Parts: sequence; C-alpha cells; structure tokens
Amino acid sequence: MGPVIRLAGVTKAYRLVHQRPFLARELWRRLLQKPSRTETFTALRDVSFEIERGEAVGVIGTNGSGKSTLLSLIARTSYPTAGTVEVEGRVGPLLELGAGFHPDLTGRENIFLNASLLGLSRAEVETRLESIIDYSGIRTFIDSPIQTYSTGMTARLGFSVVAHTDPDILLVDEVFAVGDADFQQRCEETIRGMIARGATLFLVSHDMRVVREICSKVIWIEEGRVREIGDPAKVVERYLHSAQPVGAG
Amino acid sequence: MPSLQTFTDIYRYRFVLANLVGKDLKAMYRNMALGFLWSLLNPLVLVVVLSLVWTIFMGAGRDFPSLVLVALIPWNFFSYCLTGCSGAIRNNVSLIKKVSFPRQILPVSIILTHLVHFAIQSLLIVLVLVLFPPPGKVLGLQLLWLPVLVALEIGLVVGSGLLVAGLNVLYRDVQYITDSLLTILFWASPVLWSAGPESGLADWGWLRYAYFLNPLAGILEGFRDVLYFGRPPAGGPLLAALAVTLCIGYLGVRSFWRHEREFADLI
Repeated sequence: MGPVIRLAGVTKAYRLVHQRPFLARELWRRLLQKPSRTETFTALRDVSFEIERGEAVGVIGTNGSGKSTLLSLIARTSYPTAGTVEVEGRVGPLLELGAGFHPDLTGRENIFLNASLLGLSRAEVETRLESIIDYSGIRTFIDSPIQTYSTGMTARLGFSVVAHTDPDILLVDEVFAVGDADFQQRCEETIRGMIARGATLFLVSHDMRVVREICSKVIWIEEGRVREIGDPAKVVERYLHSAQPVGAG
Repeated sequence: MPSLQTFTDIYRYRFVLANLVGKDLKAMYRNMALGFLWSLLNPLVLVVVLSLVWTIFMGAGRDFPSLVLVALIPWNFFSYCLTGCSGAIRNNVSLIKKVSFPRQILPVSIILTHLVHFAIQSLLIVLVLVLFPPPGKVLGLQLLWLPVLVALEIGLVVGSGLLVAGLNVLYRDVQYITDSLLTILFWASPVLWSAGPESGLADWGWLRYAYFLNPLAGILEGFRDVLYFGRPPAGGPLLAALAVTLCIGYLGVRSFWRHEREFADLI
C-alpha cells in the first residue's frame, strides 16, 4: 500500500496584505505600469513527508509554526506556492465543527446541507440520517433551527455528520477543546474506531496527552520547517524540553 | 480545459446546489406568514407607485403597468443576482476556509435561488397583462422567444456574477462599484422607458450603438417586444446582447478560475 498523503518540497507563501486593495487604484496602477509592491510571508518551507494508510499522525509546534497551513493544504482548501500535495481518498475535515451550518435551518436540514458539501449523495444521507441523529444525541431538537442550539450541541451535530461520511483521512484541529467531557470522550473513541478500521488521522493539537495516546507518529514543525518526525514519546519529549510552550503537557 | 470543468463540476455537485438553493429559499421565507407572496410584494408596490406617478404627472397611457412590468421583472432578476453574487464568496468564510468544493457552486446557487423568484414574479406579469391589456396581441407564436431571452439573461448573469464574486474577494471596492453600476444600468436600460422603433431611436445617431452595447438593452427590449407589443424581438440588438454576454462570460469564468484557489487565503 502506498502513502495516502504525500507532500514533496511544499512551500506556502502568503501575500501579506494589510488591507485588501481597491480595484480602482489597481487598474490605475496597471495603466501607468507601475510595479506592485507585495510582501510575502512564508508559512511553510520545503516540507516533505509521506503518511501511510492507517497511520495516526500528530502535528505539534508553537503558535504560528505552520500547523494550520499544513491542514488547509491537505484539506485542499488552499494550494501550495511550490511543491506538490497528493491526497488520496475522502477527507473528513473536523476543523471547525459545524462550519457551513446555517442558523435559520433546522438540525435535520443542516445535516443534508453539510453532508452533501462533504461529498455524500442524497441516498447516502437518507440511509445514514437516523444514525447521524442518534449519534449526535440531540433528537429532541433536531427539527429546531440551529440558532437555538448551544455551542456544544452544534459541535455534536457537526462531529456526527463528519463521522458518518466514511472519511479515509480525518483532519482534526483541536476539536477536543469543544463540548463537555462526555462528548470529548466519545469523539476520541469514535476517532480511535475509525483508525482501527483503516482511516488515517492527521491531528493538530497542543494537548500532548492526546498526541501521545492516540498518535503513532509525530511531526514537529518549527518556523515552517519539519524539525523532527518520529516516535510520539520521544518527539514530544524533546519538543517540551526545547520550547517550554505555554499550557503544554 | 479549465472553463469546461467549471461547468461539469456544477453538474457533479447538483445535490449540494439543491441543498443550498433550498437553504436560501427556506431561510428567506421561514419566518414570514405570507411566504412566497412577499417576493411579489416588492415589484407590485413599485409598479403601483410608478404607474400612479407616471399616469398622473407624465400622462402615460392606461397600459403603463404592463409596459413597465414586462421589463422590470427581468431587470430585478439581474439586479438581485449581481448583488447576491458579489457577496457569494465573502459571506461564506467558514465554508471556504474549511471545506473543499468547487467554489462556483456558491454564486450559481444564488442565481438559481433568484431564478425561482423570477418564476414566481412572472405570475405577476400574467396578472398585470390581463388587467392592463397592452396594444399588441400577446398570445402568439412570438412567445417561443421567451426561453431564448431567459437563457440569454441567465448566461449574462452567470458571467457577470462569477466576475463580481471573484473580484470582490480580491478588491474591497468591488461591492460598491457593483452597487453604483447597477444604479447606472437601471437608468441606462429600458425599464422605465422604451427605446423601441416607436421612440425615435433612429435620431440618436451614434448613441444608438452605445445603447445596445449594454446587453440588458437588447434583452429587456426583447421581453417587451414579445410580451407587450406581441412581436418577435429585433434581431440586431439581440445579437449585440449575445456578443457582449459571451465576452462577459469569458471574462467571468476565466477570472474566477484563475483566482479560486486563492480564495481561502484571501478572505
């Protein structure tokens, strides 16, 4: 089996725009053929790694080290400036639970909207609907508009939808920080179950306990470069010693 | 072929589109007791006010409501779509940043939503045509031109909608430029006035050609020819509208395709 995620020489630079430019000024500038002044910020530099099917990979690093940029490249919402990103299979983005939910629509209607955006067909949503509602544990409110939901309820529903899309690759960005202890534990169990069934996990977290317990491999990113890849216990240990990051451990 | 995939992706994501259109329609009408009647109220009020003012002060004929409405409803479709599309990407930050899907789905869903409104509002045209009979015989073979006119306007709206949706991510004055342009276009297009053969347009000289560079001129005159005068639309203006629509469509699809990969980085 080949790798499901392969990054080769990936560099991602953002144009630093303090404010979005005006079209009128831009046209004038082009008319006079003045050169444009743009600064760039390089979030990732020459990053290369491969992840095999079924691996559980944790990404650690201080704030601003490029972890989220890495996630957005694998989620295919953003594209590299140089190098290639290859991702095989359906991606389940657990980045911001309930992204794309519409407040005026009911929970049920939002399940259809969200699941279709994540790539499910109408028939697939219909057969999984009951299971999605059961898992979310909010059946009583499923026909009320989302705007009446609490943050925790929205997160439960969001997680439930993604969990039912049979993702080959799970992208997780600190979702364990939302919801109550019970919900967090169920998230963790579900994610472990999916890995056991062959899904690949790509987890960004500052919670070193979670990284150590769930992950089979850790990538430590520093200033946009891969500093270390390897055994979770060892890499986390060295990371904690080098950085002394706030709130870690 | 980038531009071809732009359209095949729309078909591949038709279930998403159906859900997005359903979302817009439901969100719009959920809390309103009169439901879809609201989408008739706005043009109805406008036509009543205009008709009162125009017939009392400017001596317009009895069939003035028909004359205006057959062009006003298609104009509204264009104007609502463009306003909606200019925010299509910018107003969906969390979706764009977190979920990967063909970005053109968003403006296209807005256009489809307004197409539904357009269909509903067309009922109003039928009602007004019955109450204020126009001079021409409306029930005739020229009605076969209606699908052509609607298709042409959809093409125009898709091209210009993609253009403003994408540009509004890159530049922050595009929303305001769009709003102002719509105001200018409203008065430059034959909505409240008509530039048909009856209006002495031939005396305008070169202005006549500038006038038909506005694709809405040919389209709206076409609607008025078919639904008010009961005759087929004039060929020249329609061809001009088609040519300009194709140019705008090319610009819109190309600029959207060139920048869609940066959307998540820029908003």
